[in-house]
Amino acid sequence: MLKIKNIGKNFGGVKAVDDLSFNVDKGEIVGLIGPNGSGKSTTINLICGVFPVDFGNISVNEQNISSLPTHERVASGISRTFQNIRLFKDLSVWQNIWVALQQDSDQSSGWMREWFGNSKLQKEKIKEILVFSGLGDRFDDLAGNLSFGEQRRLELARAIASKPKLILLDEPAAGMNSDEVADLRQRILDLKKLGLTVLLVEHVMELVMNVVDRIVVLNFGKKIAEGSPENIQNNKDVQKAYLGGA
Amino acid sequence: MSLYFVTILTNMTLISFIAISAYLILIVGEVSFGQQAFFGIGAYITATLTTLLGLDIVIALFFSFMVSASFALVLSVLTIRLSGFYFAVASLSFAELFRLSLYKIEYTVETNSGTVGPNGPEGFQNIRWIFENNVSPDNFLVIAVSSLLALIILLIFMENSKLFKNARLVGKDQIVAQSIGIRPFFYRVGFITLAGGVAGFGGGLFALFNTYIEPSMFGIMLGVHGLAYSIIGGLGYPLGPLIGVFIDIGLLESVRFLSEYRMILFGGLVAAILIIFPEGIISPRLISRIKRKLVKKTNA
Repeated sequence: MLKIKNIGKNFGGVKAVDDLSFNVDKGEIVGLIGPNGSGKSTTINLICGVFPVDFGNISVNEQNISSLPTHERVASGISRTFQNIRLFKDLSVWQNIWVALQQDSDQSSGWMREWFGNSKLQKEKIKEILVFSGLGDRFDDLAGNLSFGEQRRLELARAIASKPKLILLDEPAAGMNSDEVADLRQRILDLKKLGLTVLLVEHVMELVMNVVDRIVVLNFGKKIAEGSPENIQNNKDVQKAYLGGA
Repeated sequence: MSLYFVTILTNMTLISFIAISAYLILIVGEVSFGQQAFFGIGAYITATLTTLLGLDIVIALFFSFMVSASFALVLSVLTIRLSGFYFAVASLSFAELFRLSLYKIEYTVETNSGTVGPNGPEGFQNIRWIFENNVSPDNFLVIAVSSLLALIILLIFMENSKLFKNARLVGKDQIVAQSIGIRPFFYRVGFITLAGGVAGFGGGLFALFNTYIEPSMFGIMLGVHGLAYSIIGGLGYPLGPLIGVFIDIGLLESVRFLSEYRMILFGGLVAAILIIFPEGIISPRLISRIKRKLVKKTNA
């Protein structure tokens, strides 16, 4: 599904990501962890095309996407959530989903109509996505008025609305209490049931260890370990990276 | 209507084109201090085409639109990586570059209605289209107002289109817009180009109405006023810039009896409006609140 091959990114003299390679298979949930500043978010941004890779290759379904701009990567099936929640806060909940649904071009009506005509309301589809995300009763509310946990869910719902094959979650559990984390865990498993592939960047180990199939550990932009949650917990290098010393 | 009143209304209509062009750029999230240049380009193009080539006003205004839009297209492509302050400064530099070059462009022809053609600091004189065609000030006002109305109606219809919706999303948060599959640069370039064309069209009308144009008319204060009108009026709906123009010029003229004190009063008024309505009078928030009410009503 997602193949990352020897990618690297330098910011000035800092090697934020250095010769990183890993794969994510179809239908798998992979966790990407590492101490602060280890290059996790940079990796997500490289996959989404927020900035280009300095070297290396990123491909999705055998299609090389390393040089595509962000919006074309979305079209090839990648969508994401953000570390700091980013919603259109002055739009209502359903409008936030609608804007994502609309980007899927509708061949049946012709381009004149699609771009210049009144955009059509896909109410059933919006409702379905919101119910799936546990926001069914918040349809008409303003996105900015939702609680923190709900805003996270809305972001996830918007990511689903772009009909992705691969979802990148950038620290979705940041700032959540343990009930909310448990809810989030269930939602990530639901994504898997839909057949989606998930790459999860996360600090909250309570979530990572209980949801992922496989973990990739980064430190100083390099991969230091890869394996099942149990293997990673017992890995000496990982313990050293997190706790320091011997 | 008295001539005084007609002249005020015509001026308000013409400056509305600049306000709308500033508005179009503001909705994609940029600020331009250079719309006066496109107004100027349009003015010089229409002046040249109607006097030197004797073309019809419709063709002249069409070319004003197209040429100004092309300049705006070039500017937007050159500044594709600039945003915020940097774009604002780039647009201002472009406008000043244009204005200062006008002082150097001299090409005059003697005709039986006098010397015509751009003549450096002397300006472009004897744009006699309205006299030659016996267009009275009232009739010219009708032409100007109907063009403006056509533009506004078009914009209101487009407000619900995917094109305009996406443009607003790009203006709100470019990163999110990209991440749901919107191509931000397309909207930026498209709207800056369209804004240039709209300003150029208004400039063309201005040249015909004023019968005389000179480089100093297209200084930064013209662009700043256009920008201020769309900010006072709000970015929620195409009528916003018109309300801004109306408040500024309308009120300014109505308190003329206060003579020199009226500018002081006016400054305070603008400040007060922006304190009470920080996002302008017709703010996007107000529009989305109204829309939600309407949707709820149709659902109920």
